[in-house]
Amino acid sequence: MNLIVDIQQSIEKHHDHNAFYIGQEYYTYKEFGQVVSDIRKAIQVSSKKEEITFGLITNDDIQTYASIIALWMEGRAYVPLNPEFPESRNQMVIQQADIITILDSSKEQVFEEHHTILTKNLENSEIDLTPVTVSEEGLVYIFFTSGTTGTPKGVPINFGNLSGFMDAFWALDYPITSDDRCLQMFELTFDLSVVSYLAPMLKGACIYTIPKDEIKYSYIFELMEDHKLTFSLMVPSILHYLRPYFDEIDCPAMKYSMFCGEALPLDVTEEWSKCLPNATIANVYGPTECTIYCTDYTYNREGENKTHNGVLTIGKDMKNTTTIIVDEDNNEVAIGESGELCLSGAQLTTGYWKNKEKNKAVFFHKEYQGKNTRFYRTGDLCSRDEEGDILYLGRVDFQAKIQGFRVELSEIEFHAKAALDKINVVAIAFTNSIHNTEIGVVIESEDFNTQELVDYMKTKLPAYMIPTQMKFIQSFPLNTNGKIDRNKLTAMFS
Amino acid sequence: MEIDTIKERVGEVLASILEHNNFEIHDELTAKDVDGWDSLSHMMIITKIEEEFGIRFKLRELNKLKNMGSLVSLIQTKA
Repeated sequence: MNLIVDIQQSIEKHHDHNAFYIGQEYYTYKEFGQVVSDIRKAIQVSSKKEEITFGLITNDDIQTYASIIALWMEGRAYVPLNPEFPESRNQMVIQQADIITILDSSKEQVFEEHHTILTKNLENSEIDLTPVTVSEEGLVYIFFTSGTTGTPKGVPINFGNLSGFMDAFWALDYPITSDDRCLQMFELTFDLSVVSYLAPMLKGACIYTIPKDEIKYSYIFELMEDHKLTFSLMVPSILHYLRPYFDEIDCPAMKYSMFCGEALPLDVTEEWSKCLPNATIANVYGPTECTIYCTDYTYNREGENKTHNGVLTIGKDMKNTTTIIVDEDNNEVAIGESGELCLSGAQLTTGYWKNKEKNKAVFFHKEYQGKNTRFYRTGDLCSRDEEGDILYLGRVDFQAKIQGFRVELSEIEFHAKAALDKINVVAIAFTNSIHNTEIGVVIESEDFNTQELVDYMKTKLPAYMIPTQMKFIQSFPLNTNGKIDRNKLTAMFS
Repeated sequence: MEIDTIKERVGEVLASILEHNNFEIHDELTAKDVDGWDSLSHMMIITKIEEEFGIRFKLRELNKLKNMGSLVSLIQTKA
């Protein structure tokens, strides 16, 4: 597989370049290649040939990143296990993913009862970065995402999917060179981490990680300023945290600032663009099922930007993805009409791990441009404009039905935010005691009298869209992926 | 402002955000030692301290806060 050979060549070519900056310490590509080789040797010695999936304890250190590359060079896949997640959830993942061996860089083994390779103090072995032969179908990782039934769903991604993504990423022309300094802010259980370490590694650039005990947003700022980061991918929540301090931020070194994972509001983006006077800002979109991300929009500094309810468009399909927007019967909707976004192409997973029922529900075949094509239903409500740009309207299931009317929660959020200067707001649909759906709004602020807000919303929205309850919270809870945890907010109303 | 007064008021802020007072304020105290003091409550604590003392921290200063001692002396330079 070319992707792994490309990694090998980059490590060899950039021997004296820094590969990582982790917790105040630099590691060169040479040092990295040594750790990869050591772990590889350990995998060969202490696991069986037929083992495909390996657990990986997601620590923030050189051994953890080297474990990923060592597994790939051996044609194996990693399944990230966050030691801070509940034990029962991790055990469920270990069992579901058929994990026999776990790679663990901790001082003390995290899962005592499972066969573990401790990667911290391995003996130096001969450098060996020549990958075994692997096919496109060979797995690279399985990421488990939360399932509605309480059992996590595994999304297997193979070498073909990941190569398809990297090919499409380079085609975006947000180039990285061996002189770049790139942010990797994500937990390794979140697939945005993959592009954050893999793209720099393929070009010999340096990867900057966030120690687990640091406050993420302020540490990111310090890295940006002190280390003059040139490339970053973040979730928009980081911007909401940094926003009160925007006037302190001036990072002319930043060349590319990308966002993914949540809606990116235009007003915050405009303010952010002033903190990074030389950066190209881009909004990318995609679910784990379609390998990291698969649509892209470049923010226009000078002129107009396309938005819906104040949220930037997610742009157009990337090179190896085809998108269609369909109605409930899988028929494509007309331009400007809303429907569910569906994805197809080289990046699309072969299907959830051992979950026939779910696969039947979200994957379907459809005749598209003369070919029988497999599509994935994203659950995202979108529309497409005449130029082919996709507007993100909300989740299909955030589309509440109130008194029979279809209500888009993002529209309520938009008007509430417009009334409240720079205060973040989340609208929630919840079921009240008599099993009717009501709309609640959570405001990220100290308590205040909401009469004025309600009056304003009444001038903008029909009566059935006016929230019946408003609650205040000092700071929105985030889930482990760093996105606003809507489930927790919904629980405030029940 | 007196160090002891600052410590006392910081203790009150902590107790009000974390909804418990199972901690003792001393210079070496860190977030790790206090139940519920995570990255989310940290932001709330910082905001509340800013209000309580009528001060504003710079982003860079937030990273320098390694323990209670550094927090208290930072407040003292501002309040």
